[in-house]
Amino acid sequence: MERIDAAQARDHIEMVDRILAESPPRLCSGGEYFVAWGIASAYLTVLFQLVDRGLVAASAVWSAPVVLGACVVFSIVRGRLTRRALARTSLVQREFFNVLWLTLGLAFIVDVAAFRIFPGIAGAAIWSVAEAIVLLYIGMHGNRRAQIAGILVVVSLIVANFAQLGITAYVLAAGMLAGYAGFGASELLARD
Amino acid sequence: MDELLLSKVRLGVVAELLNFDWVAFSELARALEVSNGNLGAHLIKLVDAGYVEEEKSFVNRRPQTRYRLTTRGRDAFAAHVSRLQALLKAAT
Repeated sequence: MERIDAAQARDHIEMVDRILAESPPRLCSGGEYFVAWGIASAYLTVLFQLVDRGLVAASAVWSAPVVLGACVVFSIVRGRLTRRALARTSLVQREFFNVLWLTLGLAFIVDVAAFRIFPGIAGAAIWSVAEAIVLLYIGMHGNRRAQIAGILVVVSLIVANFAQLGITAYVLAAGMLAGYAGFGASELLARD
Repeated sequence: MDELLLSKVRLGVVAELLNFDWVAFSELARALEVSNGNLGAHLIKLVDAGYVEEEKSFVNRRPQTRYRLTTRGRDAFAAHVSRLQALLKAAT
């Protein structure tokens, strides 16, 4: 049986402390998801508004499942590739992906299966709420751009609430584009 | 004392994995500054003991092996560090 003396024990504890201090988990949010979902959610919000006002043919609504499906497929494929390529995946990172999927997944389900409870613009607002949660969650981990982007989305929700009915969707879409897609673009630029 | 964690390299591996979900072999070797052969031998022992989980895959057609700490490994690490601290306290 191996033995260890006090000097070795101190040496081992110092090494453990050093390793734990040197490896603070960094949250990698993956800008491309935000760009894709931000543009898609803004597109759908504006599309439904335009259809509702009779400015676009009702048949254009069929592009919604195509856009959503494309985003889901893109996210799954990109997520798998990212996870495999990462040399280190922190526990915080895993938790972030769980928050991301739970929030956007719930928003998706609410929009598709609870449309009678959240009709029209309420469905779009649900996406804004989901996006704000994701951004502010990243912001809580010290990302200043995510904090600002999250606040932007929340502000767009509040402004949309008091705006004229005819422009509510445009305000929400602007928040999605500037806040969600804008944050993604800024992350991609910062990465490069 | 946990005999498996009396090795400084193995203790270092577990400490490196503590805050991470998965860590690649190359990252562990770089962080701990040990040779691939040495690290591989220690990792086999940790995997066999159920302290560490191993995953082999291909990234860009190149093989990659990643490791993560199991609950058993986490518990063993916590207990071992507590005993190390107790030993230090008794010695001072």
